Amino acid sequence: MIFEVAIGDRVRTVGIVRKGGLLHVDLDGRTHVVDARRINDAIVSMLIQLDGAAPSRSVDAAFATQQAPGQRGPGGGGGDFDVHLDGLTIPVQIRPAGSFGRQKKEGATAQAAGPQRVLAPMPGKVVRVLVKPGDEVKARQGLVVVEAMKMENELRAARDGRVRDIAVAEGQSVDAGAVLIVVE
Amino acid sequence: MKKILIANRGEIAVRVIRACRDMGIATAAVYSECDRAALHVRLAGEAWPVGPSAPRESYLRIDAIIDAARKAGADAVHPGYGFLAENEDFAAACRDAGLIFIGPSPEAITLMGSKTAARQAAIKAGVPVVPGTEEPLSEQASDAEVQTVAERVGYPLMLKAVAGGGGKGMRMVASASELAGALRAARSEAQSAFGDGAVYLERRIMSPRHIEVQLLGDHHGTVVPFVERECSIQRRHQKVVEESPSLAVSPELRRRMTSAAAAVARTVGYTNAGTIEFLVDEAGAFYFLEMNTRLQVEHPITEMVTGVDLVQWQIRIARGERLDLDPEALLIPRAHAIECRIYAEDPENGFLPSPGLIQGLRAPQGPGVRDDSGAYEGGEVPIFYDPMISKLITWGDTRDHAIQRMRRALAEYQVRGIRTTIPFFQWLLEDADFKAARFDTGFIDRKMGEKQRGPLQAIDAAHADLAAIAAAVHLFTKPVTNGAAAPAASRWRDAGRTEALR
Repeated sequence: MIFEVAIGDRVRTVGIVRKGGLLHVDLDGRTHVVDARRINDAIVSMLIQLDGAAPSRSVDAAFATQQAPGQRGPGGGGGDFDVHLDGLTIPVQIRPAGSFGRQKKEGATAQAAGPQRVLAPMPGKVVRVLVKPGDEVKARQGLVVVEAMKMENELRAARDGRVRDIAVAEGQSVDAGAVLIVVE
Repeated sequence: MKKILIANRGEIAVRVIRACRDMGIATAAVYSECDRAALHVRLAGEAWPVGPSAPRESYLRIDAIIDAARKAGADAVHPGYGFLAENEDFAAACRDAGLIFIGPSPEAITLMGSKTAARQAAIKAGVPVVPGTEEPLSEQASDAEVQTVAERVGYPLMLKAVAGGGGKGMRMVASASELAGALRAARSEAQSAFGDGAVYLERRIMSPRHIEVQLLGDHHGTVVPFVERECSIQRRHQKVVEESPSLAVSPELRRRMTSAAAAVARTVGYTNAGTIEFLVDEAGAFYFLEMNTRLQVEHPITEMVTGVDLVQWQIRIARGERLDLDPEALLIPRAHAIECRIYAEDPENGFLPSPGLIQGLRAPQGPGVRDDSGAYEGGEVPIFYDPMISKLITWGDTRDHAIQRMRRALAEYQVRGIRTTIPFFQWLLEDADFKAARFDTGFIDRKMGEKQRGPLQAIDAAHADLAAIAAAVHLFTKPVTNGAAAPAASRWRDAGRTEALR
């Protein structure tokens, strides 16, 4: 079975076949022998022989689906689930081979394509709108401030662009996932 | 004292339940609608509903909580921190209902809750305060009159709204020429934000550290201070990392600061647990800032370096026992302890709140680690309350030892399904200035400002490779349930939809 795994703006191709009790995992052309034991639905213990090397790398990997809408993961890209390993949380998207298409493989361009919709991460109240339609904005510039959980939260632009739409007014209550601002 | 009602939720309610268990005292929890299955409810001996999820309709309802205490037959109430912990009306309502309030008297809460009264108490105790005006500047005062007052306070100075908070109505004034303009701006900002334009002057302390002294006072006139806590690591004026002792405090300075703190508490006849906060400047001069009339979030680091259970002592003091701790031993730290406040916030996205279902949880264990948590696997982090889910404390022989253990504990800590501030602490602990304890209260804001772009947690290619292998192995080996297709199969459909929407 062949998968494509997107992490950040890079897509890796991973092929897996079962040989006896072990898995042979082909990653970007290199083969690793993996002894995988399922601990439960969400945790897998792996002993990996990286590219035929002798030491058996022990990797304890745990998984969680992503539930919150909005901008997620490094580079603002969304993920299907988080992989927890070695004290890191790594958002990944995984598809059957060929699903991501050419655009994604070419790297960061996929992230930059299309308008960027800034969503309310949770129910709250719009405290301030910091931009006007037509404004040029820079990556990480504050766009709108939403109050929730006793805190004011500034939502920022993921990349440079121009404000196309402001869908909310100051003082307005919003639900999780509501579109607040569209930047193109 | 037979049964204590805990008027709080989350990790602090759990902490108090544990102290009660240790002492053989029965516990009664209170809960709002969304907290029915919260950990403090599950661990308590009994639990009483106090209203809808919004704090104003439940955990802040004095009448509902007193009513719950009556129904439970509790003889005492522990308020935790936050919610009603520093509310003098609540302390008085407990007293009126014949319940022991495990905390200071309503009078002490009122007195030390007022910024100006607390400042006067400190002055009376002979403790230095930040130089400034004792009264608000008169609205009628001419620019020349204000100039004279400002000369006396000294530059640089801060203009602060009397009704202020959260940085509003606050202006820094570097020299006399800026004063008139800054005064007008501060007054108008204060007027629009708080409906009160009154402002006062205060000397600006350059590169201050925030250092505080924990105290206990009993009902027999004994007040004991503890070795200090270093709380300069703050984000948006909120402490995020605390440690004890402070590397900036010599044994001689410790003696002076702890004596000063105890003097303030004695001046106001303070009882139970409290904390005196100081600003300490680069030269080691310290100034009284304010008093917190409750148990602090960061109390465990003091417990780990002194071996004293502060919550147990709160209870013992409330039932009239005498403090019999050796005051000298409380000033000699037996270890170095650090606390990281784990919040349900996404540090990679401007610290946005990240409530929701905790799909998986692995708390760190082993030597030198304590996790005071209100979370569990399968539990929800609700949107209604403070997003702190746990306090992670480590300790060791030295500061480096404690930091090393914190690194290990953070790497072991998995909170799956929501985002937490764990990556932020992992990043912070690698910072050279943090490691050298070179910081002041502006540290985090400065460091975050320098680091505008890029994630806090950089994923190197080798770890991305491992994650890719893990993700594929996960889907490949996921068991088929109920004879239906493997979960992976539905992802193929989703994949098509996602692509179509791109």
